[in-house]
Amino acid sequence: MRPSRVFRLLFRIFISLLTISVTVVSILGGLSAVMILTNPDNIGIDPGDVEFNLEINNVTLAIESVNFTLPFNLTNAGYFNLENLELKIDIAMNYSHIDYPIPGANETKEVQIFSNSTNFGTITKGTTGNFTFLGDTFIMGNFPNFTSEVNWFRGPPAILFYVNLTISLDYSLGMHSLSITILDLPAGGFP
Amino acid sequence: MGAVKNMVKGFIYTAIYVVTSIVIPLATFTWLRSMVVEGFPLDFEQQEYQSVIFWLTAFGLIISGCAFFKYSSPKQSIRKGVFALIQVLVNCLYLWSYKFSGATNIEFAILNFGYFSLNIQQMVLVFMGIYFLTIFLKVYDIIDFSINREKIRENRMKE
Repeated sequence: MRPSRVFRLLFRIFISLLTISVTVVSILGGLSAVMILTNPDNIGIDPGDVEFNLEINNVTLAIESVNFTLPFNLTNAGYFNLENLELKIDIAMNYSHIDYPIPGANETKEVQIFSNSTNFGTITKGTTGNFTFLGDTFIMGNFPNFTSEVNWFRGPPAILFYVNLTISLDYSLGMHSLSITILDLPAGGFP
Repeated sequence: MGAVKNMVKGFIYTAIYVVTSIVIPLATFTWLRSMVVEGFPLDFEQQEYQSVIFWLTAFGLIISGCAFFKYSSPKQSIRKGVFALIQVLVNCLYLWSYKFSGATNIEFAILNFGYFSLNIQQMVLVFMGIYFLTIFLKVYDIIDFSINREKIRENRMKE
């Protein structure tokens, strides 16, 4: 064999190994994503488990503190580690606004009171990650004035909460990224 | 006899490329459309799906055509080298078509639930890197086949 062909053969083997390994990683990554997503038991997130703490001053009706915790778990049933697991939560508050837009009319308004994301890092393959999302950075400026703006005669509940959830993660050594967004999940009301 | 053998080889490789560059991707996308996530069916936007299918089929057919000319050409011939290079370049365009047809960031609506998106851009870029190395190999082949043309012909006669 000519020396030029020997050099070519070595380079060809290198490229073939590279192609085979990337192809195998891609196929296994795709299969893993399917294995995780198609089994509803792998993603354990239920807005019904939210523990919501809203403290309102009985006299002034001003918000003293507001926070919530959402426990969730995710089972990595695939072949690779799940990296950059991130949970983003947006909470909207729905209420009937007194005398808006004109006196005598009570229009239903929806304001965004929370938008935050937390990175939970990595879940190694074959394990289940149990996490708790802590939400305590509410957009206080978007809350209505509970004494003069909220129509407490609507409902009960007079105030409704809706949640948008986005779970995103990287897979196959960072070659696949996927996200699931759940829109307008009812998350209870007040009172 | 050698010519017939080369033609048969060309047809076999064309069939292989039709399967790997058209049939498997189409089957994968069709399968993804029928997937059920968290108990909800996926809904892939029809127009986006049509666009992805169009580009994959178009480039897949060109790749398969190039495969025929490449594999039906005599061993170590300049013709084979040129078609191999064209095929790699079209393969790069094929991979790039995944990006510009929107197939690298697929968004599926999950009916009455939300949506699911899959981004495979990094994977496509890694494959493009490998194809870039392959371009070097094919250019090297053409130079090698051109410089050693006489020697290659002598060897072919001996066989």
